[in-house]
Amino acid sequence: MHLVIVGNGVAGVTAAMAVRAADPRAEITIVSGESEFFFSRTALMYAFMDVMQRRDLEPYERKLFREQRLTLRQDWAVDLDAGARELRLAGGATLRYDKLLLATGSRGRRAPWERPLDGVVRFVSLQDLDACERLTPGTRRAVVAGGGLIGVELVECLVHHRVPVTFLVREPSYWPAALSPEEGELVAAHIRAQGVDLRLNSEIESMQGEGRVTGVTTKAGEQIPCELVGVTIGVEPNVEWLRAVKTPPALNRGIVTDAAFRTSLPGVFAAGDVAEVEGRIEPLWYAAKRQGQAVAQSILGQSMQYAPPAYYNSAKFFHLEWTCAGETQGPGRFRKLPGREASVRVIERDGIAVGFSMLGTRWNHRVLTRWIEERRRVDEVMGRLSEAQYDVEFGRVAL
Amino acid sequence: MIRDRLYHDLTNRGITGWIVAALLVWFYIALYFTENLTPVAQTFGLSSKWDLYGVLYTVAVVTGGIAVIRKYGHNRYQVVRTSVVMFVQIVFAFSIPMMLKALHQPEYYLSYFWPLKFDYMNPEYLFNQPWPFVVYTLAASLVIVPLLGALLGKRWYCSWVCGCGGLANTMGEPWRHLSDKSSAAWKFEKVSIYSVLGVSLLLTSLLFYSWFTKSKAPEVVQFQTWYGLIVGSILSGAVGTGLYPLGGTRVWCRFFCPMAALLGITQKAGKRFHIRVKEDMCISCGLCSKYCEMGIDVRAYAQRNESFTRASCVGCGICSEVCPRGVLRLENQSELVQIRSGR
Repeated sequence: MHLVIVGNGVAGVTAAMAVRAADPRAEITIVSGESEFFFSRTALMYAFMDVMQRRDLEPYERKLFREQRLTLRQDWAVDLDAGARELRLAGGATLRYDKLLLATGSRGRRAPWERPLDGVVRFVSLQDLDACERLTPGTRRAVVAGGGLIGVELVECLVHHRVPVTFLVREPSYWPAALSPEEGELVAAHIRAQGVDLRLNSEIESMQGEGRVTGVTTKAGEQIPCELVGVTIGVEPNVEWLRAVKTPPALNRGIVTDAAFRTSLPGVFAAGDVAEVEGRIEPLWYAAKRQGQAVAQSILGQSMQYAPPAYYNSAKFFHLEWTCAGETQGPGRFRKLPGREASVRVIERDGIAVGFSMLGTRWNHRVLTRWIEERRRVDEVMGRLSEAQYDVEFGRVAL
Repeated sequence: MIRDRLYHDLTNRGITGWIVAALLVWFYIALYFTENLTPVAQTFGLSSKWDLYGVLYTVAVVTGGIAVIRKYGHNRYQVVRTSVVMFVQIVFAFSIPMMLKALHQPEYYLSYFWPLKFDYMNPEYLFNQPWPFVVYTLAASLVIVPLLGALLGKRWYCSWVCGCGGLANTMGEPWRHLSDKSSAAWKFEKVSIYSVLGVSLLLTSLLFYSWFTKSKAPEVVQFQTWYGLIVGSILSGAVGTGLYPLGGTRVWCRFFCPMAALLGITQKAGKRFHIRVKEDMCISCGLCSKYCEMGIDVRAYAQRNESFTRASCVGCGICSEVCPRGVLRLENQSELVQIRSGR
């Protein structure tokens, strides 16, 4: 069997290793123009901040591909002919496959006010990192638009390089998709305390400059001179290239698949951020890893039904750590912890705990998701919260 | 920014890093093999170059320690641990020996034990000391050190008490990430550290044999001299500390220290101390591996959800500190049992 995987992100590489573990004879080719080695996209910010070097981003030693007998084609896939089972590459070569896995991940969403100027960056790929590093020295002020997790990471990097940053967030409170207004206030105050000019209720209307960006105008009409604009208004499945191919798979927001990651094309699978599995997209590192494991079974012809576990996530806003499990929105009980930048929030429905959002201290999400699965009463879990704490030794936080 | 570039250069094997390493090695050579530092010591009213070294060492641990506490002030484990390291250095590794010396007593370093302080288990030396010291040395080296290693992990010594580890975790902090993470380095480590342990055990046995038979062969004397020169001076001093800016802070501890080897064995055998990995939360960013001073590829365990104990782990806790998703936690077994049983 010749398995061709497009994309060497975490979904693609995890799938490749899982297929290899089950089938020592399979021929496995990974196509990626982005990088020669599998790297951890989540660590881009640490490379930008110079606390890591590029090579430190690689989760495995470089001998991995050789030992696992994975062939990397450093090239971009440009055409797909599912009838002939052929994938054409930008370099002109054509790969014949028996099974094809599309794992092209996410790309930064484009904003309507964007213009193709030098100084406009995203923060998703290695090429984005190159651009950020090149542009930072000539930047007197940066504007970052979009208050999601990538936005705050980019802001932290720029602050680290002592670049003054104006951080524009469309919503009236910080990251309302996951944080309650009180939590948003806590995070916003923390971000501002790092010297960031954080503005809520604020959006870019237009962009100025010739060649290089020189400033932006907000919807409120304010002009902000800047040399760098970070566009971090979310990510979307990286499917654009598939719209023009000879036989495109069914596309919606992402590549449409069934619960076994099968696309509408025979022998073609999709997994990771790019896959819309039964209507659901999970643009998270852990999910992509889980899907990479799962899709391998499907590729190997085993019957499987992917069922994602209870949602959980974690993040870090500068120094403020955050863990969530289950649902993040809806009525709940919020408590700010005395004397520190920390809070706990338990989301409830009919007296049952359905979600947790914990800011400023460490938590074991496994205990939290178990309580959700066991449908524990909110009164009970409020009294047992300390069982899920995961602080360092000597550092147990009083709740 | 010139300051950032200079710091990067100094801490990433740039030209300034090499210069500082050369100066440190030169200092250790001057200290161990010449008397050039004696007049310098006397200028400061100190009686010997070793007193000067003690002063410099203590100042380095204290200033570095203050910087570390400021850096990791939000992490109680780091604050407590670093405070203990500074306290031990000031009291046990500096003040008490200096006072003993002022009182014309032998200067005992009560925070150092065999086989790190090799001479303390040399019967010719040991049994000529006052009995409280004999009891202390025998009890500590043979019982307390391994027992605590089994109960709490080698960290109780290597990153809480030991002066070598103390310097590494204070003054050495800016270079901790330079340790070699490759599997090849791990292979080398396993050979080198247990070889040094074997050699030091052999030498101690020979010294005891000579003492019992009251006849010391010239080869044993020579062996002793060479051990002191290679292990004591070159490996622990010049290589171990001098090469901070090139090989990271724990070159001595990781590849050569016989005490670390012994404690590593008890840590593994004790099956209590471990680094716990929170399930399916690792994002493979690699900060843990990058900042592991012992060159352990922590990420390799974290990304496959594997709680682990490595013989070399000194339990400094920085992997847990730098993890942006709070995946890693240093624990002793008893706590793990409690959590697993659901309490």
